[in-house]
This record gives sequence, C-alpha cells and structure tokens, in this order.
Amino acid sequence: MKLEHANWFHLAMMVVFCCTIVFAIITARRGRRMFIRRIPGLSAIDESVGRATEMGRPMLFSVGLGQIDMPTLQGLAVMSHVARLAARYGNRLLVPVADPMVLAVAEEATREAWQAEGKPEAHRPEDVRFLSDSQFAFAAGMMGLVIREAVASTFLFGYFYAESLLLAEAGQESGAIQVAGTPATTQIPFFIVSCDYTIIGDEYYAASAYLTQEPTLLGSLVGQDLSKGILILLILVGTLLSIFWPGEANPLIRLLTKSGGG
Amino acid sequence: MFHPIKPTWLLWTVIIAVSAAWVALLYGLSRLRSREKRRIIIATTFLAGLFYVLEFFLPGKSRIFFWTRDHANPLTPFLSSLGEATLAIAGFTLMLGVTNLTLVHGRNILRRQKGWYNSAAFFLALLAMIFFGLWETYGDKAAPFGKIAHRTYQCLFDGGLVSLEATMFSLLAFYMAAAAYRAFRLRSGEATVLVVAAFLVMLGQVPAGMWLTRGLPAHNWLVNLRVENIALWLLNVVSMAGLRAVNFGVGIGALAMSLRLWLNLERGAFFEQEF
Repeated sequence: MKLEHANWFHLAMMVVFCCTIVFAIITARRGRRMFIRRIPGLSAIDESVGRATEMGRPMLFSVGLGQIDMPTLQGLAVMSHVARLAARYGNRLLVPVADPMVLAVAEEATREAWQAEGKPEAHRPEDVRFLSDSQFAFAAGMMGLVIREAVASTFLFGYFYAESLLLAEAGQESGAIQVAGTPATTQIPFFIVSCDYTIIGDEYYAASAYLTQEPTLLGSLVGQDLSKGILILLILVGTLLSIFWPGEANPLIRLLTKSGGG
Repeated sequence: MFHPIKPTWLLWTVIIAVSAAWVALLYGLSRLRSREKRRIIIATTFLAGLFYVLEFFLPGKSRIFFWTRDHANPLTPFLSSLGEATLAIAGFTLMLGVTNLTLVHGRNILRRQKGWYNSAAFFLALLAMIFFGLWETYGDKAAPFGKIAHRTYQCLFDGGLVSLEATMFSLLAFYMAAAAYRAFRLRSGEATVLVVAAFLVMLGQVPAGMWLTRGLPAHNWLVNLRVENIALWLLNVVSMAGLRAVNFGVGIGALAMSLRLWLNLERGAFFEQEF
C-alpha cells in the first residue's frame, strides 16, 4: 500500500528516530568517546591502497549506477577518503561513472582531495570518466578499464544491479584486491563470493564515520544503533500484539497502514 | 500546475527569458567563492528537504490547525512541478557526460595512445547514432534516403546496441557458475551451512527433489520434512528474516545520513569546515 501522507504514528516514530540520532550527535560533539567495533572490510581500504601503491598500479573506484541519492553520496564519501590516500601516496585513482551528475560531483571531490593533500598539480581530471548510462555498456566499459589498466585494487561502493557480478568477476580475474559495499540486498551475495571484503547492510552507512573518526559521524552511528534498538522493541511489541490480535484486528497494523489522508 | 503557454510568440519569449535567466544564474554562481557556493548549497538543501518533509507529514485532506477549515495539503500541488524541475536540471548535465567522453577519446586520438582506434570507433558510433537517430525521429522515412537511414538505424540500434547488451547480460550465467563454484567450496563451517541450504533450496525447486520425499504423509507434521517445504521455510523464514534485518539497518542508516545532509551536520567527507 502506498502512503501519500504520514499519520500521527509515523510522525511520532520519525520524531523519535531523528531526536535519538541528533541527541547522540550532540553528545559526541561534546567530547564523549564513542566506540565502534572493528569492521574488517573498512579496515581493508587502507591496506588495499597501500598494496596498489607498492605494486605501482592504479586503483579503481566505482559508485555504481545510482544517481545523486543516499547510497551514491555515501559511496562518494568513501571515494573522497580513497582519493586523499591516493594523492598522499602518489597513486592513480580511476573513477568510472554512469551518471553525468555524479561525474560533476566525483570530479570536484577528487580535485579537492588532491588539493587537500597539497598536490593539485598531480590531479588527473581524465581519470574520472563517464562511460555510459546504459547498464551493460557501463559494465563492459568498466571491465575493459580494469583489465587494460591492470588495476591493483577495486572499490565498489554504491547501488549496483545485475552488473555487480560482471564487475566483481573482472576484478577477480585481474587479481585485484576487492572491497565492496552496497545497500542493494540482492547484490550482496555476488559481492561476497567475488570480492575479498564485503560490507553488508548498515555497515555501508557506517563507512564515513569509521574512516574519518569524526565525532559528528560517530555520534550519528551510535544514534543509528539506538534507533535500531527502538525498532527491535517495536518488533517485540508487534509480535506480542499479533499473538493476541491476529490479522487486521492488530492495533499496530492499523496504526502503521492508516494513511494520513490524501 | 503549469499550463501550456499560448500564443507561440509568448511561449518562445518565455523560453528565451528563462534560458537567459539560467545562464545569468550559472554565470553568477561560477563567480562566487567556494565558501559562498557552499552556503548556497546548504540553504538550498535545507529548503528542498523542508518542502518534502512538510509535504509528507502535513495531513492530506484534513484540518491542519484547529482554527483552519478542512482543506487539502497546500504543498501537494507543487510536488510534481518540483520533480519536473529536478529532471530539467538533470538534463543540463547530459552534456557533461558527452564532453567528458569527447575529451578523453579526443586526447587518445591526438596523442596516438595505445588503442587509439577504439576511440576513433567511439566518435564514428557517436556521430552515426546522432545522425541516423535524428533522421529516424524527424526525417522523411518515405524518401529513398529515408528508407536507407531507417534500416541503418535499426541495424545500429537493434542489431548492434541491443544485441551487445544482451550478450553482456548472458555472460552473467557463466560468471554465476564460476562464482558459485568458489562459494560452494567447503572451507569453513559457514560455507558448509551455505552449501547445505543452497542444495536444499535448489532441490525443492525441481520435480526430482519433490519426488525424493513424496512418500512422507501429507496430513500430519511429517509434511514439513518434505524437501519443497524445507526449501520454502528456508526462503520465507530464515532468509527473509535476515533480509528484513539488513533492510531495517539500511533504512535507519539512510535516515541518519539524510538528516546529517539536511541539517548540515555532514563532516569529514564532503564538508571539511563548519559554517
């Protein structure tokens, strides 16, 4: 069922989640230390950059087929971190993109990364390339790039569709160390079997906090975990209510599915 | 919300005036310093986010405040127009992609780099598709050259592009077999669970699998041990529960990131400085 407008229950839930996240951000910004468990896939990013630099071969970062949306923005945030590392160690970073709007943002992000490391003259704008907005033409172009440039590391962070396995297998064949992360649950199994490290589910949105250790982002991450706790509590309440009021009679189902009008 | 403009001269005047306003706006933005540009981006992001938040959370067709009469959500009529405006802005960026391709491949040809002939093929394909695509849309198909152009377009698009994309898609089957081989090697306890679960699900989908357990009675608890029911249970309970847990996490993560971007709290990656 498509909800045109929220009802009071959706509004209340959203206020609770947003307040929890903002409260955790404020707490972190006031100096409280936040702990994040080790995420092997994200720790492997620095290792992959180091390996590529030692081998003297370029790296490749793809943000997938998405337009400027949340998964792509998160992918670009990770790309900025990898670009800074590439600039610091004097390595190349190839960024093939499938959307012209993402191209503009990726160009700007890489330029800023090289400038931030004090090496603006080493920035190669031609390494950020628009290949095609067609799914399999993009996959063919990127596979060719992986093999021709003999990349040592590939990073696949963004929203991927059926082309995910083609891209990951191309990297596997060329012997590149591969780190992948996507919120697309249908593509996660393909990355798990073809990549060395895979970031699953909400770990994807933890990437920028983990890599930068910024208090604001760490606070946001803790806020996410608290919000998930609230959701689990709601699931338990829903389960109990379903036992006593099965089907349509369940008051929680009525609250969740009732439209706010329109 | 917007109605077609008539007569034609007024429509063209509006198009020219809007185009000139856009050029002036883009020129003005390009003259701004990086810090000022970011301020504008932050303000625009906040206002656009606020519009969508209010549109969704204000009731659709009921009283918004106790002193107002019953009426529809005042922001809903603007929703489709704003979506179309976003599409129009995205249209501007199409040329960015073409420019980038032209620069990269043009440089390859001029410097005679390795594989430069592939770049020449790109230009040939680009020009051919533009020419025959425009003729297909606007040209006279009944004219002698029109028929040749129509067939060439079909040959390029259906015979070339569509077939090549289908070929790439069909490659997936072979890659899937290679990936499945790697995944199903019994290297650890988790891999063993994966192999057993995958084997049961595959067996539950084929008649031979169902035939194996057809002897189990259909009217008592033993029916649950039929391979097709085990496969269904694995898909609908075990797998679905995991998938929903991942989706909950992804949803909350996206909400947190949206909130950070909307309230200008994003740090580290895009915005190094605070404003």
